[in-house]
Amino acid sequence: MSGGPAGAPRRGQGWRAVLDLGLAAAGTALLAWAAAAPRRRRVDAPRPRRMPAPRAVTPAAESGWAAEPASDAIDTRPVAVIPLRRDFGWRFTLGLAAATAGTLLLAYAAVALLLTGTGLWGTNIPFVWGFDLINYVWLIGIANAASLVAVVLVLRRHGLRTAINRFAEAAALAAVAAAALYPVLHLGRPWLFYWVLAYPASFQVWPQFRSTLIWDFWGIMSHLVVTGLFWYTGLIPDLATMRDRAALHGRHLTAQAYGLAALGWRGSVRHWARHQAAYRLVAALVLPMLVSAQTIVALEFATTLVPDWHQARLPLHVVATGIPSGLGVVLALAVVLRETLGLQRYIDDADMDLLARLTAAAALGCGWLYADELMTAWLEDAATRLGMVARVFGPYAGLYWGSVALVVVVPQLLWLPALRRSAPAAVAIGIAAAAGVWLDRFSLIAGGLLRDHLPRSGPLYAPTVPEWTLLLGAVGLFVLLMLLFARFLPVVSMFETRHEESGKDVP
Amino acid sequence: MSAGLMAEFQEAEALLRALRAARAAGWRRMDAYAPYPLPEAAELLDAHGGPVAWIAIGAGLCGAALSYGTQYWLSVHDYPINVGGRPLHAWPAFLPATTIVAILWAAAAALLGMLALNRLPRLHHPVFAVPGFGRASEDRFFLFLSSRDPRFRPEATARFLHGLSPLRVSEVPEK
Repeated sequence: MSGGPAGAPRRGQGWRAVLDLGLAAAGTALLAWAAAAPRRRRVDAPRPRRMPAPRAVTPAAESGWAAEPASDAIDTRPVAVIPLRRDFGWRFTLGLAAATAGTLLLAYAAVALLLTGTGLWGTNIPFVWGFDLINYVWLIGIANAASLVAVVLVLRRHGLRTAINRFAEAAALAAVAAAALYPVLHLGRPWLFYWVLAYPASFQVWPQFRSTLIWDFWGIMSHLVVTGLFWYTGLIPDLATMRDRAALHGRHLTAQAYGLAALGWRGSVRHWARHQAAYRLVAALVLPMLVSAQTIVALEFATTLVPDWHQARLPLHVVATGIPSGLGVVLALAVVLRETLGLQRYIDDADMDLLARLTAAAALGCGWLYADELMTAWLEDAATRLGMVARVFGPYAGLYWGSVALVVVVPQLLWLPALRRSAPAAVAIGIAAAAGVWLDRFSLIAGGLLRDHLPRSGPLYAPTVPEWTLLLGAVGLFVLLMLLFARFLPVVSMFETRHEESGKDVP
Repeated sequence: MSAGLMAEFQEAEALLRALRAARAAGWRRMDAYAPYPLPEAAELLDAHGGPVAWIAIGAGLCGAALSYGTQYWLSVHDYPINVGGRPLHAWPAFLPATTIVAILWAAAAALLGMLALNRLPRLHHPVFAVPGFGRASEDRFFLFLSSRDPRFRPEATARFLHGLSPLRVSEVPEK
């Protein structure tokens, strides 16, 4: 076969890498432009968001001091009273029941897997990876993009951060939590997963540190911990607000629970200075962590000899195509949260507009990446070319073209003002983008194995019922975590909202 | 004997004015409370986030050294495996885990360092006994003058605070 060994240099690799870099730079510039454009507009005409008095939505009895004059800080009481509501309505209960049922399915699928083994799945040589890796890479992509947008907004002190950061970070954490299960479950003997830890085992065997699978262990663990730290650091002052608000409502047990989580935060100006330093520092640390964690996932593919995977552009492809999925999920969440919790004032139309345009811009960037993928395959050797042809036109062609349509084409509709301002359309397009990236992962993982260096003898890969159960369960877990988050925590960063409205530190 | 006096303000600007006045009058043992970060006020109190960054950088370097050192020692000395003649000290392959563990340590140290420098967590603090202090986490601004400052005289300090046109001045209990 003509594929060549792993280390052999390929013709034209150098200038293609330059081209990839240029593409990445162009995509970044486009995203930056999309993010910067409305800022210019905002400077001309500041948003009329600051209201002189609390809205009538909060009854005086509930707020405690509604009759007093307005303060310097913008009123965030409507956000704080949401988690203190006694009743969230039957729709929430129904959603919670559905999500809990989904999570129980996940437990069922996991137990079934532990009892029977991976023979339950449709995977077989050469399709060694199926839903385990597809769903894992997909969920990590969502987490990455949601974290990425939150981090960039914090570091740039962009006005959009007040609206979306808190729940974008929560979505990232929920997605990593759901994703982290898969690598453990797909080990074959999941109960021995701790063997990847560098611990002094009695049989004196150590992990192989030159293996991408060991990098992956560190990548996933750091992703989970650092994403959680980023979210929690930003949450501490808002937990203090919840504590004081609950105490004011006479809910002393609730106030104690929030108070413990708030770690005794009292809002000292000295504490704020260190808190802001820590928050921005963790944000700056999340940035390289995201890129390296997702790159490691891509390297697990790229370091194999499978022609369609063995490419230097794969990390860029996996990192960048993840972005529309995460932005799509954040967009859909933003619509759902502002409509169901009545947060139109905090997640306002300008925020939605900007978020929708960011999603469309990221999708456009993916369009270039898909074009680059085809061009790279065309310029590569015969084995790679045939591998790509098999993926694009072979039995899994529907997945490839479905992902192109959902990831690249459909989000372009968001450039139309009428569609991006319509709540149902924004939710549908956001979820479509996420689903499209799932198809891309399916196409990459199953379709990439269609044509290896050996003739294929076995049947095609098709997911079995236990695999679908696992996917449904993971989505259920994600939804459950998000519902609990919306039930018990402020979904909008309250201190950032007050802070932004004060207008002193926003450059 | 009280821990000091607390003045409540409606606006950040009023708190900043009061802080400047207190500083000009020679007050050093004081604190300010706000519902959102006030960098100008932090500057007046000589507080900054720099030490948090140094703690994080130090912890990150420690994590990197520990991670790289572990990989090196285990792969080269304690458990060398020859994989197709590839070098045992495969430094490029050691870098991903090194970077990521460094980030993990630095992020954890940023949060823990911030908490340690802030003397948090703690279950209670005397300022919470001040009436209406709950609004420090919503929309009110507070200036605290400690009785441990040599300038503290109960009546004179209360007069000074009343001169800054606060909403009210309250006593902060000792415990």
